[in-house]
Amino acid sequence: MTVMRDTVVKALAKVHVQSDENGLIPEYEVLVNLLPVSLLNTFSERMMEAAPPERKDEVEAGLVRAAYECGYHTGCGIITSEIFSDVVMPMVTEDEKDILRGAYAAFTAWGWAKSGIVQLKEAEKMTIRAFDYYEADSGGKGLRGFMLRGLSQAFFDLAYAEPYPDGMDTYLCRQTKGIEVGDSYGEFVVVKK
Amino acid sequence: MALKTEFTMNNETNRRALNGHEVVMHSHHYLALITKLVEDLEDLGGPQILCEVVEENMRNILNDYFQENSLSSAEERYRAGEDYFSTFGLGKMHITGDEKGGEVRLTSSHIDEGWTMKWGPHSKPVNHLTRGFISAIFSAAFNKPPKSYAIDETASIVTGEQESKFIVTAL
Repeated sequence: MTVMRDTVVKALAKVHVQSDENGLIPEYEVLVNLLPVSLLNTFSERMMEAAPPERKDEVEAGLVRAAYECGYHTGCGIITSEIFSDVVMPMVTEDEKDILRGAYAAFTAWGWAKSGIVQLKEAEKMTIRAFDYYEADSGGKGLRGFMLRGLSQAFFDLAYAEPYPDGMDTYLCRQTKGIEVGDSYGEFVVVKK
Repeated sequence: MALKTEFTMNNETNRRALNGHEVVMHSHHYLALITKLVEDLEDLGGPQILCEVVEENMRNILNDYFQENSLSSAEERYRAGEDYFSTFGLGKMHITGDEKGGEVRLTSSHIDEGWTMKWGPHSKPVNHLTRGFISAIFSAAFNKPPKSYAIDETASIVTGEQESKFIVTAL
């Protein structure tokens, strides 16, 4: 058996986070927040607009970095969580490959990106396609999948770099296609730095 | 919590919405780094951009909620704003005041506790997101346009205080 994506998506989609008496959501070894998509997209665009041409890369790198560190630490919490153990791990027969498949099922189930792996060369390269992701709605000019870039890099680091927390920044993700620029899907390629 | 919360999911995309507005989960690492990013880009107006974007977006959400639930008094509107803050996992907020301004205390804070978990205490307040949130609550509560209130963070959990405190002044 390998990870049955639809089964995982269906099971994980039922997960619902709720704040405690302090208004906090401690889950997956982190504090979770739930923010309006329009707020996040507007923020990214205003920051990009505010930067002069020579500093747009700096802003973009900062937005990707925020997603990357979120993905690396929270990702570790997710793949070691009870729900992941219950739903995904019984289907894992190909170790890292299946854990990655499970991770992209989680991305889809939790509304970050309707995405999956289309090519995987273990520990070397991974290509992701996303047919829906919230950053595609940002309204900006150019590729805007900052979140999915950061998350994809994080999950490849978790799968193939040194064990957590020593494997940060081993791989790099670039976006090659985007719904936001008129392509029919977003494409993200992870390679070694 | 008195806030009526209706969570829905788009079966095609799995995107989630709370009371009709799309929402997405992230962690304290994300918001701590976004906060650090705006601090580092202060010369581009980073903190103010974050504050204003939060005010604009939260005003829309609050206005819709006030209208749909016929909330007309400032007290009812304050409580709804506080509850939204907690529902988003941002902490526990306590608002007092009137149209001319007031005081807001945070007895727990995702931003401050998240920053501290990641990097330890900081030398100055950094909760620009909550400044925008408070501004949205006050302007929506009194049907005023955005940027009608100045929000000053005078005490902060991230600097080691027990609670964060914000002074709200009508402009």
